[in-house]
Formats: sequence, structure tokens, C-alpha cells
Amino acid sequence: MDRALTRRWATGKTDQRAERTLGALAVAVLVLIGAMLVTVVIKAWPSFSHNGLSWFGPGGDVDTQIRAMAESKALPGRSLYYFRAWPLIWGTLLTTVGAVLIALVVSMLAAIFLTEFAPPAIRRVLDPVIRLLAGVPSVIYGLIGILVLARYIDNHWISNARRASVNYVVQLNGNDVMTATLILTLMILPIMVAITASALASVPGAWREGSLALGVNRWRTIWRVSLRTARPAIVAATVLATARALGEAVMLAMVSGGRGFAPNLLDGVTALFEPVRPLAATILQNKEGLTIPVLAHTVYAIAAVLLVSAAMLSFAGWFAKQRFHRYGLRA
Amino acid sequence: MTHLHIGFTPCEPALTLIACACSLVRVHKNKTLGSSAIDTLFPHFQTKRSNDLRAHRTLIVSLILGLVLAGTASAAPKRLLIDGSTSMFPLVQKLATAYHKAFPKLPAPKVGAGESDIGISDVAAGRVDIGDVSREHEAQDPSGLFGYKIARDGICVITNNANPLANLSQETIVQIFTGTIRDWSQVPGAKVSGPIDLFDREATSGTQAAFQNIFLGEERKITPSATAESSTGLEVNAVNAEANAIGFVSLAATIGGGVHSVAYQGVQCTLPNAKSGQYGGVRNFWMLTKGPKKGEAAKFINWIQADKKTVRSIITSEWIAL
Repeated sequence: MDRALTRRWATGKTDQRAERTLGALAVAVLVLIGAMLVTVVIKAWPSFSHNGLSWFGPGGDVDTQIRAMAESKALPGRSLYYFRAWPLIWGTLLTTVGAVLIALVVSMLAAIFLTEFAPPAIRRVLDPVIRLLAGVPSVIYGLIGILVLARYIDNHWISNARRASVNYVVQLNGNDVMTATLILTLMILPIMVAITASALASVPGAWREGSLALGVNRWRTIWRVSLRTARPAIVAATVLATARALGEAVMLAMVSGGRGFAPNLLDGVTALFEPVRPLAATILQNKEGLTIPVLAHTVYAIAAVLLVSAAMLSFAGWFAKQRFHRYGLRA
Repeated sequence: MTHLHIGFTPCEPALTLIACACSLVRVHKNKTLGSSAIDTLFPHFQTKRSNDLRAHRTLIVSLILGLVLAGTASAAPKRLLIDGSTSMFPLVQKLATAYHKAFPKLPAPKVGAGESDIGISDVAAGRVDIGDVSREHEAQDPSGLFGYKIARDGICVITNNANPLANLSQETIVQIFTGTIRDWSQVPGAKVSGPIDLFDREATSGTQAAFQNIFLGEERKITPSATAESSTGLEVNAVNAEANAIGFVSLAATIGGGVHSVAYQGVQCTLPNAKSGQYGGVRNFWMLTKGPKKGEAAKFINWIQADKKTVRSIITSEWIAL
């Protein structure tokens, strides 16, 4: 905004007051966020202080630990607060990182097609459809997951021999890492395509023409000029998508298998069919237990971990964007 | 969650704050913004300088009003305190919400969950007004407690329609759910083969606690390799989708659910059998008071026992009415 104009607005007494009240309202939002963070951390503290840093580590079956809290009967030789969240954290990492990596590649290719190759007629149809998909509530993706994808994987991809091979440890029934990751990818893809495509579209035409005029071929121009310029926007899209994937609870609680199990990558392909339960889904599944103090502290501890990771994600995204701004457009 | 929808009182100061914020914005609209640019941008804004004073007054009045409202909110009448059985928690929670809707002047009862034994000891010590208990009276229970039966709970063991098991004995159920038997070929009467796919409910589910108590007994636990579903609907869906599945749900959920409910100890899992007491997978829900019910507690229990419309529809949605 024009600086002189801003200063002129801020002269009269009333205007100064207006500015101050609006400022106060804006600060109130910050205060609310701060209060939320403090509340969550205070409520989570007993769980962290009883477990120390091992809270984040592996150790025993996490569902048995939650069940012990729900029944207020400590596991033999353990404190009632005993909790090892590694399976949940591992599940969150697997689904989120998997989905974001797949979505990153697919969304970049889709966005390049949309801006560089698609005939205008197709673009006119695809643009609104992608925006519509970005707004579909996650519970609908969850329904598609359990009613279609999980059943298909269960019936066609998992053999009885594979089931029997791990039966004593975990059950394979189509609600697994793979279903969760695929549906999560589907869920975050539209928003990534939309942001990346609009960034690519705003790359100045003269830059690309300049590159082409120097004899650089089309693909290399896209790679070296368009995509490079759009990097801040791609980072922004990735951060947004990761945040959505990290916080997704309803859909993941439906399709991921509902077991706090850490899939063992050494199992090879079988690991893809093993169930997980990410952090956010764990909060959702134990909401009934919030009146039981020990379980409530544990659930708040999970919430605190999610909150801090989301905040760190935002900072990392901001930092990465700062570095890319040197070369690129502002997103 | 629980705090949010039962606890109306803590929300009120927040609402008041929002109301204040709204009036602040209104103050703004009335005020001069002093620039013709504003007029062109927002022609509907009034730009009268004389409104300054009135704007101030609105602000002060709304602040005072807010403080007063926040003050009265904390001076609300005493709430009914309830705790006890986790299995009864979902039902009592729903009843408390409906009770508050039926009598908006009374604060919604505050419902907690722990265990039947916690309910008994808390009500005996006077820490709560009503204790929820989902087991029968035992000799070692403290004296002076009065029980009022409010509903019954029936649980069916369900399998896929491709595997219409005729009957399961208690022994077989224990072996299947504790993980001693892991293959359908070891189960007499099974129509499928291959590994048993066990479906459990999440740890805080009342149905889970009830199943464990009725079918397995206090000491045994469902094997941790079972898949935990987070709702009755998902449990039915999972068993419906999977030929090798076995799980358990409330009786009401088996009606028209597309799954086979298995007879337990030779008795079919049906509503008439559960009501008559022939079916073994049933237990009573009790509300306990210290001494005969009186005051607010009596009002709540009487409402549950007498109301035929709301309460009945809540109970029959997942449980068995008396």
C-alpha cells in the first residue's frame, strides 16, 4: 500500500483510536493462540514429566498402555502414566511423508500439464473441478477408503498366507498404511495442484520466451525457469498439505486400521498392509476417555506434540521460502 | 470434548468477550474515518463526527455488561455430579444432555467415567450425587446405598454372513478373543477357513468393557493383536466386509446390519431373549444414591424412569429399555 496514504489515514484522533482498537483485536487472536498453547502444554505436562524423553521412544504395546489408563489399572511394574508413543509417531511419519512425497511429484506434473500443455477447453473444466475437490470434507474420503479401497485391497491384494504369516502379531484386513497413504494423497493433491498451477501461471511470459529464444527446449525451460521461479509457491503448497495431512483425524481413524502398531519395514511388502494409527486419529479414538485424568493428560500430550510439530512446520516453510525468494516470485 | 458439550458455564465469558468485540466493531462503523477515500471504498459507512461520544458510551456500556454477564455465569446453581461405569458413560452422557434440553433452567449434570467401583466409593463418600454401576450388588459393597435400575445392555457376538456360526460356547469365545485359537478350522461349526480376523473396540468404549466383563470375565483381556474400531458402525462394517471376521456390538446394532449374530450358550441373541433374561450376554445399568434418592438426583432419576419419549428413544438407540 502507498505509504503516504497510510500516514494520512493515521492522522485524525479518531483514526488513531480506530487503528488501536483494530490492532487490539488482531493482538487478541495472538493471545488466544498463546493461551491455547499454554493450556495444552499445562494439561500435557504430567504425561511428559512421568515418562521423560522416552515418551517419544518405543516400548511395549501402546494400545495396552492406553487401555490400562482407561481402566485405571497400572501395568505390572509400571506407573499408570507409562506411555511410549513411538508407534503413533512412526505411523504419522509414514502416512504423512509418504502422502506428501507422492502428492509433490504428481501435483508438479499435473500443474505443468495444466499451465503449459492443456488445451484451454480442458483447463476451463479442470480448474473448477480441482478447486471443488480441495473442499471435499475428509470424512467423505474416509468413506471411500473403507467402503471401496480397503475392501478391494483386502479381497485382491492380501493372500491368506500373508495374513497367516503375521497373524500372531497383527491382523491384515485392508485398513493399513497403504490405504491410509493413498487416500491421504488423494486428499491433499487438489490443494497442491491448485497452488502450484497458479504460481506457474504467474511466471512472467517474457522470462519463458527469453529462455526459448536462447534456444533452450521447452522441457528445460519449464524445469529451469518456470518451476524454479515457482519454488516459494511449491514450498507453501507442501507446507499447507503437510499440515493438513498431519492434522487429519477422521479419515485416518476410519481407514488406517485402528491399531497403535509400528509397521516393520523389514517385513518388506507385508509392511504396506500392516495397520497404523497416527497421532491425530489417536486423539479422536480416545475422546470418550477425557474424563479419566491420566488418559486425558496423555491425550493432551499427543495434542501438544501435534501442535508443536505444526508450528515448526510453519517456521520451516517460512524459512525455506525466505531462501527461495532470492531467485523467485513472491507467493 | 466432554468439557465442551456439558459445560455451558465456562463458555459464557468467552461468548461475552465475542459480544464485546462485535460492539467494538460497531463503534468503528459509527466513527469518522476522515478520508474521502474511505467514502468511496465503503460508501455504506456513516461518517458523522458527532457520533464520537455515543460511540464511547456504547463501548463502556458493553464492557460493563460483559463483566456483569461473566459474573453471573459463575454464580449458576449447583450441578448434579455423576460418575462411575465407563460402559454407562455414553448413555448417561446422552441422558444428561437431553435433560438439560428438557429443563434449560437446570444446569446439565456433569458426567464422569471411571469404573463401577469408583462410582460406588464416590457416591458412598458423598463426592458425587449419583454413582453409575453396571454390575450387580456384591457383599463387600458399602451399606446405605440405594440402586435404581435405568436400562439394560445386551451384547451380541457377530460374524460375517458367509460364516453363519450356529453357536459359540463361553469357552470358545474366550479362546478366540484371548488369541488361543487363531484359525477358523479350530472352531467347531465354522463355515470358513483361514486366520481369524478379530475386531475389538477402542479402549474407552463401554461395549468393550461390557464384553470383557460378561464374556471373558474380569481377569482375561482381548489379545492386543485385534483390530480396534472406533465406533459400533465401523465394527459392523468391518465384520460385514471380511469373511473371516468376528466382533461384538450392542444388540441394537445387529438389527439389519448385514452381519450374522451368533447364539451364545445355545440362546439366540435377540431382543425378546435379552429382555426375558434367557440370553446370557446382558447386564443391568444401575444408578446409586447415598440413602433414598432426593433433591436434584431424584429429579434426574425420576425423569429417566418416567419419561417415555426422549429417554426411551435414547435408550433403545443402543441399549435395552426396561
